[in-house]
Amino acid sequence: MTGSGNIHGFTLLQYGLVSYFDELAQSFLITMELYIVGLVLGFSIGLTFAIMRQYGGRIFSRIATAYIEVIRGTPLITQVLIIYALPVAINMSGIASLPLDWYYYYLDSQGRIAITLNWPILSSMIGLGINSAAYQAEYLRGAFASITTGQLQAATSIGMTRWQSIRHVVLPQGLRRAIPAWSNEAAYLPKYTVVAIWVGVMEFLNMAKTVVAKTFLSVEVYLIVALTFFVLITLVSRFLEYIHNRTKIPGV
Amino acid sequence: MQERDFSSLLAFIITAGLPATLLLTVAGLGMGFLIGLALALIRVYAEDEIAVIAQAYENVFRGIPVLVLMLLFLVMTGWPALFSAGLALGLRSGAYQSQIMRGAILSVNENQVTAAYALGMDRMQTARFIVLPQAFRLALPGWSNEYAVVTKDTAWAGAIGVLDMVKSVDYLIFENPILYLPAILAVTIIYFVLTYPITRYAGEKMTKRLSSLGLGGNY
Amino acid sequence: MSIVLDVREVWKAYGNLEVLKGVTFDVGEKEVKVVFGPSGSGKSTLLRCINMLNPPDKGEIYLKGKSLMEEGVDLNSMRSRIGMVFQQFNLFSHLKALENVTIGPQKVLGMEKEDAINRAHIALNQVHMMEWIDHYPAQLSGGQQQRIGIARALAMDPDVILFDEPTSALDPELIGEVLQVMLDIAQAGTTMIVVTHEMGFARAVASEMFFMDEGVIVESGTPNHFFTTPENERVKQFLHRLEVLYGGQNTEE
Ligand SMILES: Nc1ncnc2c1ncn2[C@@H]1O[C@H](COP(=O)(O)OP(=O)(O)OP(=O)(O)O)[C@@H](O)[C@H]1O
Ligand SMILES: [Mg+2]
Repeated sequence: MTGSGNIHGFTLLQYGLVSYFDELAQSFLITMELYIVGLVLGFSIGLTFAIMRQYGGRIFSRIATAYIEVIRGTPLITQVLIIYALPVAINMSGIASLPLDWYYYYLDSQGRIAITLNWPILSSMIGLGINSAAYQAEYLRGAFASITTGQLQAATSIGMTRWQSIRHVVLPQGLRRAIPAWSNEAAYLPKYTVVAIWVGVMEFLNMAKTVVAKTFLSVEVYLIVALTFFVLITLVSRFLEYIHNRTKIPGV
Repeated sequence: MQERDFSSLLAFIITAGLPATLLLTVAGLGMGFLIGLALALIRVYAEDEIAVIAQAYENVFRGIPVLVLMLLFLVMTGWPALFSAGLALGLRSGAYQSQIMRGAILSVNENQVTAAYALGMDRMQTARFIVLPQAFRLALPGWSNEYAVVTKDTAWAGAIGVLDMVKSVDYLIFENPILYLPAILAVTIIYFVLTYPITRYAGEKMTKRLSSLGLGGNY
Repeated sequence: MSIVLDVREVWKAYGNLEVLKGVTFDVGEKEVKVVFGPSGSGKSTLLRCINMLNPPDKGEIYLKGKSLMEEGVDLNSMRSRIGMVFQQFNLFSHLKALENVTIGPQKVLGMEKEDAINRAHIALNQVHMMEWIDHYPAQLSGGQQQRIGIARALAMDPDVILFDEPTSALDPELIGEVLQVMLDIAQAGTTMIVVTHEMGFARAVASEMFFMDEGVIVESGTPNHFFTTPENERVKQFLHRLEVLYGGQNTEE
């Protein structure tokens, strides 16, 4: 309590940052929204491509391989930018006129508009999903590949069709086996949601930047952001580890 | 006419943006290599109390978005954006390369170490002449993957103002917005050209060559 | 004849499992001692105790009169004087055959590269592997790898070489070439301790044989003693089983 600078810093932290708590929390919801939709979308697309690549015959497996390698060989940022710019380009070219200024929102406790979905958010979700799908597909395929041909032959021998044996033998075993590797992807995906900044989404980090612009508490704010992501990722990965241990089947 | 606009844009992307992309890749990988090697050696060979610190480093740097790291270093050091971006990429790649290297060291067959000790080598000699040379080879596929990761992640640097390939598109696009999509596509293709051949080569050729040396993964 | 290796009352346990329960023997210069006995009797453990890869719990080991169990003894330099040939060859897989042989003299004995290569050439000649020196271990057959393994040990010019079932991982048609090399170096006066079930080899060069069971030397004697008048019931049974398995003592010569 000797230097006034200390006290000043302390009050700024106390009142300066706390007053932005609401906005930061709201933007964190957007981050979570991006994460969860991206993960689910990524899983659906990823599972499809994993099955295509492993069991789809030559053409489908080529397509799936190409998809996975192109996505993994290019940055998430440009993938999102491409998706974001696509309808804009279509509109500019005059081929069609796609509506892009729609949005969904709710009013927060102070009556402010909190946007939950618009084109920038949606394109970020799609980008995250498409990107994550390529990585998830690889983990899933790895797990499918580790299921012995004996299992498939056994399924065929009792008269199952190809699709039935995938559905009832490969998937139940493979998905369980994929959990450890898949968990890695699932737990670290939150990091990549900050990509939405590039298309102007007010997610957590973007909001933090505006708070920095207003309070000049840059180090403190970014440390809070870093810590938040770190805690989130640690929690998710612990949680998935717990799930994995709970769903173990002897010998699988 | 549009043709010429696009090619001049492409020229700008390559002359103004590509150098930063390449520089950041090299710096990030190089710094990450030194950090990763040190961390891996600590995790494998050092006392548990110290190894835990190395592990904590890995967890922290893997659990924070690289853009947040870049911003943090930018505001904390006051260095130019390029330096801060390089530092963030390097420190983070160190965390990943540590895991790659540690996995490689641990997968060196135990009997190689036994044979070295039986010849009279000490721990240092065994690590230097037997374990590390084999581990470096075993780590090649992982490294090629990490090279692709770092290359792609240099794109985040644009968000703190580094003029890299993605950022370079913004500079000229105001004049001709219709070129935005082709320009971003071009950037994406350049990234693919930078990463794919190397991961492909290391992924397939190296794995084959390694197993022909009896250094394959699960032996 | 001077004693090269003196093993006195060596005990070793892994946890609760007593593996060696007081093993005593010695090896004189140019002697070949053959150790045999059932799986799990502690033969490998004995060899790993001798070169202190797994130091004994109790007992004494002297290499040319110098104790290996003493506080502060330079184990690495002692180990460099005890060669070891492994069942699984354990060649350094990132090094070519020649480098596998030169690395010890160069890095451990501190020899100049040229001298190390000269020494390696002599050893490689002894095992008839000069044509293969530029090959990686994975490019060699098991028999060739084991011969490089022997050359690697020879090049260190050790006081004694320990062999741990050097032929038991080999296909039958490759065993002969390795045994021939072992016979040659034994006859050239190399001091050796060989764990093996190749009774033909034992008969040809062993100065003494030890039958080990459950961590102790149950019976010892010359090859002639074992093949004509073994005393212990377990020894008789074991030799009989070997005969059934390998068809008598015809593996060599
Ligand atoms: N590192 C170890 N940890 C625990 N137990 C061990 C270890 N090494 C060997 N053992 C046990 O010690 C006993 C003796 O093993 P050892 O390898 O010395 O036998 P062996 O006579 O060489 O047998 P084999 O003919 O099969 O090679 C065995 O029961 C084995 O399981
Ligand atoms: Mg053994």
